[in-house]
Amino acid sequence: MSDNYDVIVIGAGHNGLVCANILAKKNRKVLICEARENCGGLVEESITNFVPQIPLSVSSSLGGLPVKYKAKSTIALSESGQHIRLVGNQHIDHKVISGFSSKDADRYVEFHDKMSSFSKALGSFMMASPPRIMNNTFSDYFKLFKLGMNVRMLGKKKFNEFARMIGLNIADELEDNFENTLLQGLIAHDAVLGSNLGPRSPGSLINLLYRMATHDNSIFAGIYEIDGGSKAFVDTLLDISNKNKVEIKTSSSVKRCITENDKAIGVELHSGEKIYAKKIISNADPRSTYFCLLGTENLDTDVKRRIKHHRSKGKVAKLSLSLNKQPEFINCDKNDLESRMVIAPSIDYIEEAFNPSKFDKLSMEPILEMKLKNSDQSNPVLNIQVQYASYGAQEGWDKIKDNYVDAVIKLIGKYAPDIQSCIETKTIVTPDDIEKNFYVSGGHWHHGEIQIDQLFMLRPIPGASQYRTHLDGLYMCGAGTHPGGGLTGIPGKNAAQAILEDA
Amino acid sequence: MNRDLRFTALKKTPFHSRTSLASRTNKYYNWNGFTVPTEYSTTELEYTAARNGTSVMDLTPMCKYMINGSDANKFVDYLVTRDLSQMEDNTVAYIIWCNEDGKVMDDGTIFKFSNTKFMLCCAVKIYNWLHDSAEGFDVSFEDATDTTAALAIQGPTSCSTLKNYGADELELLKPFGMKQYNINGYDVLISRTGFTGDLGYELWTDPANAENMWDSIMEAGKELKIRPFGMHALEMTRIEAGFIQTNTDFMAAEDSLRPVRMRSPYEIGMGWLVHLNKESYFVGKRALKREKETGNSERCLVGLDIDGDKPAVGSVIYNEKKEDIGIVTAAMWSPTMKRNVALASLKRPYGIKIKENIFAEIYHPEELEYKKIWAKCKVVKRQFFSPERRNKVPADLYE
Repeated sequence: MSDNYDVIVIGAGHNGLVCANILAKKNRKVLICEARENCGGLVEESITNFVPQIPLSVSSSLGGLPVKYKAKSTIALSESGQHIRLVGNQHIDHKVISGFSSKDADRYVEFHDKMSSFSKALGSFMMASPPRIMNNTFSDYFKLFKLGMNVRMLGKKKFNEFARMIGLNIADELEDNFENTLLQGLIAHDAVLGSNLGPRSPGSLINLLYRMATHDNSIFAGIYEIDGGSKAFVDTLLDISNKNKVEIKTSSSVKRCITENDKAIGVELHSGEKIYAKKIISNADPRSTYFCLLGTENLDTDVKRRIKHHRSKGKVAKLSLSLNKQPEFINCDKNDLESRMVIAPSIDYIEEAFNPSKFDKLSMEPILEMKLKNSDQSNPVLNIQVQYASYGAQEGWDKIKDNYVDAVIKLIGKYAPDIQSCIETKTIVTPDDIEKNFYVSGGHWHHGEIQIDQLFMLRPIPGASQYRTHLDGLYMCGAGTHPGGGLTGIPGKNAAQAILEDA
Repeated sequence: MNRDLRFTALKKTPFHSRTSLASRTNKYYNWNGFTVPTEYSTTELEYTAARNGTSVMDLTPMCKYMINGSDANKFVDYLVTRDLSQMEDNTVAYIIWCNEDGKVMDDGTIFKFSNTKFMLCCAVKIYNWLHDSAEGFDVSFEDATDTTAALAIQGPTSCSTLKNYGADELELLKPFGMKQYNINGYDVLISRTGFTGDLGYELWTDPANAENMWDSIMEAGKELKIRPFGMHALEMTRIEAGFIQTNTDFMAAEDSLRPVRMRSPYEIGMGWLVHLNKESYFVGKRALKREKETGNSERCLVGLDIDGDKPAVGSVIYNEKKEDIGIVTAAMWSPTMKRNVALASLKRPYGIKIKENIFAEIYHPEELEYKKIWAKCKVVKRQFFSPERRNKVPADLYE
């Protein structure tokens, strides 16, 4: 049986594309099998709003990634029109917050410095492959030791503070520091964004640190919009793939991994076609990778348990409203409308929105992160991330979808009273839709919760970190692996490195 | 303290009215949540019955799981290390199963009725493990521990006893075979299996039939030296037979607090039950393959023939330099073979490459004083006692 390819990548999400190209640059013959018609996976206008910048280490290993980013400021909307506008610059933000509370302004700078130093300590760890705790090798312990040292080097006081904060909920920390509820709400929003946590859930603070580590170690600075939108980003990656002679087969969903002597040697498509390669890399989520590609009959019971307990229920829906004119947001100027607009007026408000989601139900007053596209043109589009839109909502998405959309629009109406009259069409993509249309089980952005038991060497499950699955020759490169989702390409890059190491 | 003790009380087996009547010592213990006798009269007498007549033991507390479904065949093959793909209907197989690290969780027997129906008997409760393992297989489970009464009938005259009881042509049943009977109006499944290393059978029936079955068998064996026997006598017979006992000779993987105490099949002499060339995957296969290839098994479980006549219970085993190389897990003076035998867990290469010049330090109690004995040991086959009659077909019959 001849290996037609060196590597087959399953799924042309951005991590799959990054991984494929790095390998192709090292003269590997690479094929990508993508189930959908289009490449890019969740990097699509109907899903992505704001993104972090691709780290230099990733773009340089691709030989440069000519994508232009536009930095975005953030505005926390208030019903009264007393919005808070933050840009991620300490001096400017200090001044802005002083307008509400001079105490908060000083505290904010302190808080941000502290968080920033912690996120930097995590940062180096975020970029590299995590240690594998079940390996018991020196290099793995050394990596763990280095992380410990990074944190310990912050000094005794900060180390103690880090230890105190690591399992803390964000609400406690914010309430200790700030008195302005809108500011509290805004930061809490960013801490819980994309997760299955409320601001009072333990672990929500590390979620924020984690986010900061990929967002220039800042809460409000590293937030960008891609020039030309998601499509431009994906097209750039496809151009590179073309240059690197990466073959891409679209509309080719993979049914299973073909194994021989307990080693992955190829893939079988749903069409029945079989393609062979030396290595197989899955950009799919861990559950699909293990239960579908690897197959339940090839897994140890303990592994089945871990995958079954892997938390990956998505909580974010994306609502797109095409408008016939620009809506009038109360007390907002043109600049504000181009910012990242957040509706999360207080911690309590977020917690209330979160409460029903614990029971897989929906709150009719969710939290929103909005982006107004083409704001200066005649056909603007309002893209809204709606959280906590529970995966598999008990109410039944089919039945409640329209009511839910109306509730979101009504909520926006409090801040932009004429929104109703501007709407031409409305489309919502729920976590259930993400699962169905993008083949992500649970419809979770990150292919699995970003929480302390599913991070670093525990991501996605113990024994399968470092991008290698339990099956020889089958790797993972998706958001389910370390360091997780977000448009960073780091999992893709690290997976490629793991494969090159093994070769 | 006003707790309702009914919920924590030990259960009585369906044979309890009979076993309690037979008990002369009132010695009971907790086996898997049931109260059963450790000893009826004297252990020596019971042991002698097992080796010379018929012994009867209440087996009901054994965990019994029914495995049903169209994938039952595939599932049991996935669960255990042994290749069961060629197993025939109405036969029984001795099996072990492991966790993902290839560490033994328990041993047991699997009864095959058909490709879609099995029964699993074992010491440790594994209902959860079965369920979690079943992901991806069309199988269902039923815990039949409380709904099946089980009796072990062991010893040289056991076949004759059961024939008198009504089990026609039982002598033709092969070892590890099983046969369905209808006796006194009740279904009774008889398998030629047991834990004594002798000719013997195990009977499985409806709890409603338990008392009647006990009485009838006692009557049937009246002239054949029948006697109920308890856990202590069973322990003697199983050591002689070289059978291992979970959590005595090795720690079950799920029960070990210390990962270093877990044992792979190769470390407890069960390598012969691991079929790495089995076509399909089974739990622990990757780890076991690695262990086999690298040969990094650390321990072994062996039989010891020890000088003298003092049982080496709990003894530490040393090499000639007086370095600690292992421990005795079970030991006894064998009355049948007149040998001082033991099962011991040794650090390799002791027990595998080095079989001589090892010593047991025996502390022998003599009326409130310990006598310390330094006894020379020899590594021998673990199966100390295996009479020809054990596997003979047709089985020996007595009048």
